[in-house]
Amino acid sequence: MNNKGFNLHDALFIGFCATLLVALKGMLRLKLGLSGHSMFLMSFFYLICYGAVGKNGAISLCGLLAGMMAMTLGIGKGGPLLLLKFGLPAIAMDICLLLLPSLLALKWRCIILALVATIAWASKGLIEGLLVGLSAQVVALQFAKSLLFGSLFALLAAMLVPPVLERLRSHDLIDREEI
Amino acid sequence: MWARRGGRAPIICRPKRHFVINDVRWCALALLLVLGLSSGAFLLPQTWLHYLALINLLLLVQGRYLGGRLKGLLVIFTSQLAITSLLYLLLHGVERLPEGITAVCRILMAMIPGWWLSIACSPQRIGEVLSHCLPHKWTFVLAACFGILPYLGQETREIYQMQVMRGANIRLKSLWRPRHWHELIYCVLYPLLIQLLKLSKQMATAARLRQFGRHPKPTHWPF
Repeated sequence: MNNKGFNLHDALFIGFCATLLVALKGMLRLKLGLSGHSMFLMSFFYLICYGAVGKNGAISLCGLLAGMMAMTLGIGKGGPLLLLKFGLPAIAMDICLLLLPSLLALKWRCIILALVATIAWASKGLIEGLLVGLSAQVVALQFAKSLLFGSLFALLAAMLVPPVLERLRSHDLIDREEI
Repeated sequence: MWARRGGRAPIICRPKRHFVINDVRWCALALLLVLGLSSGAFLLPQTWLHYLALINLLLLVQGRYLGGRLKGLLVIFTSQLAITSLLYLLLHGVERLPEGITAVCRILMAMIPGWWLSIACSPQRIGEVLSHCLPHKWTFVLAACFGILPYLGQETREIYQMQVMRGANIRLKSLWRPRHWHELIYCVLYPLLIQLLKLSKQMATAARLRQFGRHPKPTHWPF
């Protein structure tokens, strides 16, 4: 795990974001019957982490920590698969960040990252579906459904992030000049 | 330091509980077992599925004995079953329905070990196992996260109550309308994030003042 670039403050903030994500997920349990609502919380906190810490790997660390916490506390379906559920979108976001030009406006960066995370999240379902032996059409339909709902929720979260970061900076809580 | 469970814990604490795993090595083994069983549910061929189902049944019985609740699993299973059977009926007709049902059973069998783990292993022990795999800075972070969970819940509740008293439309009744959602984010999530950033700064300063990170191998780590 690359922890060279993170000072203790960054590390603690990443950890607290992961905690808040897991706690809210456990508290709210949005059982609206809609798949994809977890993408809202996930992309919101991952993007906040990215904006507030601004180092490569911050999102993956947040995802892995959230996965570990959820696994330990038994939130969601439990088990080591949670690590994959939280970690996969985060790692996809970090990889996308390496390719994304930093000159792009923050809002568009957030939107692209959220969409990439949704694709990673939905493809996890796709792979699971294929592994358990569902037929290709059914899997494709479910993939399309989770992609649609997931991207809706993720976009909603991505739109919220830039003003939040702006306000955090105005409270002098983010040290960096540029986000 | 591996703190108590925060919020509503899924475990019902009973005075007498046998077979609860409270040893680090057993817990690590249980983690590996769960990992194996969960991936087995996805990867094993059809003929081996009966044995896996048997093991899962045992886990279910033990989890139930330890006070686990089956409702969550049942809800997920029935909803998955309903959706998948509907899709199979629409797309392939009745003859391929058993295939879909087997797939849903496989998904259920991937979930049962995780459910069992969260009931049979105490969270402190899982945290301890995880901490052996992490560098000590991240162990400290993980410990701090668990420690902060009850505080976080309390803080969230306080901020929520205060904003409700100020007249924010964030009561459950108003939250049925999506136009009030952004108020929830502005009134509750903002202050919470600000609080967290401040707290992480303070904790980092406090730890640094106590010489955290000076020694490559910390000698006393309270577990």
